[in-house]
Amino acid sequence: MFGGLRDKLRAARERLSGSIQAGDAVTDTGSESAPASPQTVVGKSPATPVTPSSPGFVEKVKILIKDRELVVSEKDVADALSELEMTLLESDVALPATDAIIASVRKNLVGKHRKIGESVDALVVGALRSALMDVLGTGFDLKEYIRTHNRPVKILFTGVNGTGKTTTVAKIGAYLKKEGFTVVIGAGDTYRAGAIEQIAVHAERLGIRIIQHQEGADPSAVLFDTVQYATSHNLDVVLADTAGRFHNKANLMSQLGKIKRVMKPDLVVYVDEAVAGNDAVTRAFEFDKTVGADAVVLTKADMDSRGGAAISIAHTIGKPLMFLGVGQAYDDILPFEPAQVVDELLDGGA
Amino acid sequence: MMLQNYLQEYGQQAEIFVNQLQMLENGRLEAHAAIEALEAMLTAGDSTVLLQIGGGASVRAKVLDPEKVLLAIGADVIVERPNKDAVDFLKERIMGMEASQKKVAETLDRLRAQMNEINKRIESGYQQAMAAGQVPE
Repeated sequence: MFGGLRDKLRAARERLSGSIQAGDAVTDTGSESAPASPQTVVGKSPATPVTPSSPGFVEKVKILIKDRELVVSEKDVADALSELEMTLLESDVALPATDAIIASVRKNLVGKHRKIGESVDALVVGALRSALMDVLGTGFDLKEYIRTHNRPVKILFTGVNGTGKTTTVAKIGAYLKKEGFTVVIGAGDTYRAGAIEQIAVHAERLGIRIIQHQEGADPSAVLFDTVQYATSHNLDVVLADTAGRFHNKANLMSQLGKIKRVMKPDLVVYVDEAVAGNDAVTRAFEFDKTVGADAVVLTKADMDSRGGAAISIAHTIGKPLMFLGVGQAYDDILPFEPAQVVDELLDGGA
Repeated sequence: MMLQNYLQEYGQQAEIFVNQLQMLENGRLEAHAAIEALEAMLTAGDSTVLLQIGGGASVRAKVLDPEKVLLAIGADVIVERPNKDAVDFLKERIMGMEASQKKVAETLDRLRAQMNEINKRIESGYQQAMAAGQVPE
């Protein structure tokens, strides 16, 4: 998963470490032969913004001579950061998320004191880890949410066509059932031919109760019945499938508005495919604006080597990523844990 | 009936992957065409090139600066790159698309194998029903 991004980040990380070490060498030589020249220790180039943590000339010389520490300057990292920016954009990481990552890495590196001999790579990895964690957000613990809310917890799944909504509903149903929750599925996609049969097959395989009407029926009525069923049987969770739709189709979006009014979901989950990259981010933003979204699920993450959507979506739309779909089987769904993803991106395959 | 439903579901999934494969192939061919055009522009000198403007129409055009290319690098961001860098970028993108194609094709093969398996079971069920005289006319 996200192998391409991982390789590119490794290259960017090596470039950053290399440029900091090169900067150190220049600074160190200067201190041994003569007082460091302004050129070697300048922490603020005219073209780059002055950060509050950027150390002054006197302080840098003092640190270098007394404490044998090196200070990372803006100049040391400028080129490598610019390269990192390109790397992220090429991996389809949205511009606002890229900007946030670069600003965070810069903030965490520039002005950083480092003992001579201390690992530069650890410093760089730390800065990258912190930047990625900031952008990825906290994730969304569905189990905890269900435990702390009134039952039944009603979850409405929305998204565009063909991204794997119905399969995701089945996978989440399997996941919740495995975790000991009682689940009912509402076959709210009454529009697409075969959709009701598809979700019914999943439900039967998983041993989950399904509420369904005829093809072409009002999805609001189906999902209302599903909630009624869950309430009367004291079930924990309602998973409401809906037909795929594009956010610019007014009539379909107003139908979704009606479904929301009728079933009053606790959570609206937007489902899209990771391979759509920045398009997924844009669509999630539009859906959130139109009908709202509380969390996001990205499917087909195993097919996505760039990782752009997964990295940017939480930061760009301000809603947490809940699950990643990573295969065909029912248990091929991973709760999104930012720390784990960052570990995989920075350490995996190293 | 149940097996027919499974088959239908696998069929729908396979259709999605076939579409993805087609999209990747289109992207790959487009990138190859762009590389060819970029390299040809460098050698065009003062001659004109044909610029397609849609609807099958083209005009003769002179590229003012074939050394500089505006390139969509991802995330809806367009940057100016030297011609050679743009070609390298496109070649790397082609490699990425080929790797994705391989993955999608493998998944598709797995789905097809499962569909074949279901088909065999349907067939065998049908044969058994026939032998027992239970097949409806």
